[in-house]
Parts: sequence; C-alpha cells; structure tokens
Amino acid sequence: MIDPTFLEGIIKILFVFVLISAGLIISTRNLSSVLTAYTIQSFLLAAVSSLLYMIDGKNQLLLLAVLTLASKVILIPYFISRIEQKIKIGRDLHFAYLEPTPSLLLSIGLIILSYTFLSGVFKGLPLSKLFFFGAVIGLSLTLMGMLVVFSRKRVITKALGYLSMENGVLMFGLFVTELPFIIEVLIIIDLIILVILTTIMAVGMDSSIEEYRQKFRKLQIWTGGESQ
Amino acid sequence: MIRYYLLVMGIFLAFGLIPKSHRLMNALAAGNGMLHLVMSCVALSMLDLPERLGETLYLDHLNLYVELITSLGFTAAAFYARGYTDSLMEAGELDPRNLKTFYLAFNLLLVTATVALFSDNLALFWIFAELTTVCAAMLVAILSARENIDAALKYVFIVSGAMLFAFLGLIFLFTLSEQALGKGTLNWTELAVHASEFSPALLLASFTFMFIGFGAKAGVAPFHTWLPDAYARAPSVSAILSGLMQNLGIYGIIRMYSLLRESNVAPQASSILLAAGVFSIALASFSMFQQRNLKRLIAFSSVEHMGLLLIGIGIGTPLALFWALFYMLVHVLVKETLLFSAGILHRQYRSNMRENMWDVFKLQPRAAWGLILGSIAIVGMPPFPLFPAKFFILLESAAVSPYLTLALLLMLILAAASFANFLLKAFSKVTVEEEKDRHTIRTHVEAGRAELKTAAEKADHDEIRLPNKYVVRSGMRVPAIFMLALAFALGVYFPDSLRDLLDAIILELGYV
Repeated sequence: MIDPTFLEGIIKILFVFVLISAGLIISTRNLSSVLTAYTIQSFLLAAVSSLLYMIDGKNQLLLLAVLTLASKVILIPYFISRIEQKIKIGRDLHFAYLEPTPSLLLSIGLIILSYTFLSGVFKGLPLSKLFFFGAVIGLSLTLMGMLVVFSRKRVITKALGYLSMENGVLMFGLFVTELPFIIEVLIIIDLIILVILTTIMAVGMDSSIEEYRQKFRKLQIWTGGESQ
Repeated sequence: MIRYYLLVMGIFLAFGLIPKSHRLMNALAAGNGMLHLVMSCVALSMLDLPERLGETLYLDHLNLYVELITSLGFTAAAFYARGYTDSLMEAGELDPRNLKTFYLAFNLLLVTATVALFSDNLALFWIFAELTTVCAAMLVAILSARENIDAALKYVFIVSGAMLFAFLGLIFLFTLSEQALGKGTLNWTELAVHASEFSPALLLASFTFMFIGFGAKAGVAPFHTWLPDAYARAPSVSAILSGLMQNLGIYGIIRMYSLLRESNVAPQASSILLAAGVFSIALASFSMFQQRNLKRLIAFSSVEHMGLLLIGIGIGTPLALFWALFYMLVHVLVKETLLFSAGILHRQYRSNMRENMWDVFKLQPRAAWGLILGSIAIVGMPPFPLFPAKFFILLESAAVSPYLTLALLLMLILAAASFANFLLKAFSKVTVEEEKDRHTIRTHVEAGRAELKTAAEKADHDEIRLPNKYVVRSGMRVPAIFMLALAFALGVYFPDSLRDLLDAIILELGYV
C-alpha cells in the first residue's frame, strides 16, 4: 500500500501539468502539437483517475481511467490525426479575438475567478483541500477550453478546444462527486458522435483539397446567407 | 420503457433507410410526426397523469404538451419538406445522395427530442438534448455548401459548449441531492420533492450553469449568435426544426425554475431570468430594425420571443406561466407560417435580401399574404392569439416593476415597426405595367436592372432570376395555411380542454 499523502502530492503535480497542457492548446500554432497536447491532457486525466482509485479503492474510478484511455488517448486522437492528414493543413495561424499572449493572461484570470467562485459556493460542503483544488482545476480547464473555441479559427482546433472543455467537466465531476458510471459512458458516446460530425464538416471547411474548393465555387450561387 | 421506445424507433428508422423514392421517404417522415402527435394526444386523454412507466419514462402534462407542440411542428414541416427538397434538388443545391441523410436526421431529431422530453432522469435529458443538437446541425449542413457548414459548426460549438456548463450544473445538483438524501439522484420527481432541503447557494449556482446551457439551446441572448446564421443559411425546413428545438431549452428552464421556486433563492433566479429576457428582447429588437435579410429578421424575432417567454417564467406567478406556456404553442404556429412563406420567397428570388424582392404580389401572392398575416400575428395584433399572451405577460410584469412593462412595450413596438418597415420596403417594389408608355417602361426597367445589378454585386450574386415564376408545389402551401388557420382559430376561440391542460401543468409544477 502506498502512502496516500504521497499519492496526493503526485496528483497535485499532475494538476500543474494539466494546466500547462491547456495553455499549450490555447497558444500553439501547429495543429499536430495541439493534438499532442490534448492527448497528453487526456492521459493525465486517466492518470489522476487511477491515482484516486489507489487512494479510494472505488472500482468505478479505475473503469473511468480505462475508458478515458481508450476513447480520448487512443480513439479520438487517432481519428483527428487522420483527418488532419487528409485536409493537408498543418498550422492554425489565425486567432479571432485574442492573440496567444493575452489569452494566456486571461486564462490566469479565469483560474483565479473559478477559485474565488468555488470557494464561495463550496463553503458548506465537506470537501478536502485536494478535492477542492481538483474542482478548481476542472472548472478552469472548462473555461480555458471555451477560450480556445472562441479564439481559434480552424474547426479542428475548435473541436479540440471543445474536447478540452469536456475534460474539464469530467475532472470537475471526478473531484466533486461520484456520478453514476453509465452517465460517464453516455457522455463519451456523445463526445465521439460530436467529434466525428464536426471533423467531417471540418474536411469541408478547412480543407485545401482541390475537389472541395471546386465544389464550393460551384455552390457560390447559393446566397441565402448574410451578404451585406 | 425508454429502451423499448428506442428499439422500436430504431427499427423504424432502419426501415426508413430502405426506400429509394422520395415520396416514400417523405411519407415515412410525415407518418413519424403524426404517430408522435397521435400518441401524445392519446396519452393526454387516456392516462392518469402524472404517470411513471418503468424506471426512466415519466409522463406529465408539461412534457406531453411540449411533445404535442414539437410533433405538430414536425408533421407540418414534413409535408412542406417534400416540395421544398424537390426544388432544392432541381436547382442542384441539394445532392440527391444526401436526401436519405436528410430524412434520417429529420426522423432522428424527433425521436431524440421525444426521449429528452419524457426522461425523468436529468442526465438522460441532457444527453438526448445534446443529440438533438447534433441532428439539427446535420440538417443545417445538408446542402454541404460553405455557408451551411459554417452555420452548422457554429450551432454545434455554441450550443454544445454551453451545454457542458449545464452539465457542471448537473454535477452540482447531484452533489446537493447526495448531501440531502444520502444517495445522489438526478430524477426530476425526486429532486422536486426534496428541493426545499437543498443548500440555497449551491442550488443557485446549479441553476445558473443550467441556465447557460438551456438558454443557449433556446437561443437566448447572449448565447443566441448561432440562431440568425442557422435560420438564414440553412434551408427553411432545417431552420424550422432547429427553431422547434428552442422549446426544449425553455422546457428545461421551466423545470429548473420550478425546482427553485420553493427555496429562498427564488428571487435571484427570477432576476437572472428577467435580466436575460430583457437583454434578449432589447438586442433582438434593435437588430431587427433596418434588417434587410428576411430570415434574419425572423430569427431575431425568435430571440425576442424567447426573451418574452423567459420573462413570463421569471415573473413566477401562475397567470404569467399560463400565458407563457400558451405562448410557446402559438409562437411555433406563427413562426412556421412565416418560415414556410419565407422559404417560398427564397425559392423564387434565390435570396433572402430585401433589395432582391420585386413584384412579390404578382409572382408569389399567397406567400406574400402568408408573410403579411404572419407578421401581423407575430407582433401580437388581435385577433391572433399572441395578443392575449403578450398582453397578460406584460400585465403581470407590472407587478415586478412598471418600468419593466414600459421598456418591454417600447421594444415590442420597435420589433413590430421593423416588421412593417421590412414588408413595406420589400413588397412595394413593382415593375411598370406594359400598357403604359413604352419609353417609361424601358427607363424603369433599365433603372431597375441597374439597381438590381448593384444590389447583386453587393450581395455577391452570380445570377438573379426575376421574371420566371417559381411554381409552388401544392404540398408547400397547405402547412402554412393550416398553421395560420390554427393560430387564428386559437385567437378567436380558446378551447376549454387547452385551458384545463395548461392549468394542470401549472398545478403539477407546484404553482398556486
């Protein structure tokens, strides 16, 4: 049996790495690096879940770790990397509202915000320090993911931002309460459907494939949209 | 029970994949809508509500009422879809290979919405509400043109992203129930019984997060940004369906609010709803003013109405809720009339822009009248039923603050003026009759062409077909007329059965 305080120490170190990976997703311009950052983040989540299992001994946590590993470390990244190869675009250079540096500064603000918000809300709850920090990290991960969805232009990066948001929600759930396992499974199914849908659409939007370009040119007659 | 429903519907949808002819696919979609319509009518009249069937299926007056509205909207849309998709395919905008996907998403949307409505478990509600977003986005992207896909992606990212916050709210709620009951639960019925034991601060936090998610689903400002794009860039049928899904968001908000009503944070929750409502109405009415795109006008009008619904819920009195619920039904009827007519005009002019519409009364008189009557109805003029609904919600809002009523009234007038402004400018452009002096014809026509050309350049058009009259298929007019007639009938005569139904909903939600 490993000493729980030692495990808690490791979890705290992992928290830092989770935040770093979120920062990388916000600021990196290379698409495959964004994907790697996401994969590492999911892996960290699985690691945190299995460490919690070692402390608590609840089987559900181990199952969750396995599920995360299978879906978010292997399946989804594999699928997205296939799509990335297909669309032949390696870099996402454009930022919509915020450049990387201001958005990194903003995300520090978001972490502080979620800390103050949660310390207000959780006043009455018997949460230990570690679990409280986990909840804070989870919420700030969600908010940082939202920042990615807003500030990035390429659909693939937006999708990765969404996935990172979902990692945050899962982390929050992990530390605040123990959700029924079936719900976690359903969320991941929902996530996979969503990822497949958006990335297939991304082939249409982000693609540099000549065939798609042609198709769009043809459909330009259609002017239902905003054309002011 | 939900498992059996999903199984049966899964088989049905699999059968739906077999037929090759458009007619059969369409008939299946319409049959699906009618089946749900009849089933909810039967359940309303036969069952002793509220009724629990199995572990997760829960029927009460509220979810049956919303299901009734949804399936009615779907059935009408299915009848309209046939002619509309036919003409989309003729114009080469819709790939015939995508037709099957279209109907699959169409049927799937109704099924997922039904499961979301009838599930007692909040987590199931959340997941199926998410799946409706996915299906609706597929319908928006069905033309696979850049504008469509862009709108669909915006829809998915904004709504699903916001729904993740709703999930955070669910986690809060689960923790709360764990604290109060010893064992966590996410069932509406159990939560409603024990809501008064929950810690108020956490309950409010949970409500706020859920409101972000469901508010985005409903298209409430500031999470409304997907809505104008989805309306304006998607084919009309898809716009109608994503519009119907807005009611799902409102449904979630009504349920959540009724949980909070008993606790002492109800005033704060009310003020969140009222603030979001006022903000939506203000933003929408100012965006509608001088709006030149017809479908965007209709979309912002949706945002405005969702705002008014929020105010109706947020006031918190039984009377306001009664009219808000009635409002949900009538809004769908009138909005569909408007979108059906706008779809016909879009087929005619290949554009939603005001400056491209000429000779509307000569080319599409019925669609024009549909738009005019629909606009009269949507701005809340008697004898249409939105008048009493708006009237009583405004009257009740005076209890909160008379200034609120005044501000709302002014903004509603602005919205009405925007509709009038649009219709007057779009429908009054007429090319000169032939019997007049030939010279004037030529100058007029030339002037018209020149103007048209600049408009076209501005709008980045490649071609504009003006003189050819678009032949409207008969199936496309019937639903518009039917919906408008139904709205009119509800304005003249308020059936007792509807009143009893709405009263029962209010009673079940713990009002009075």
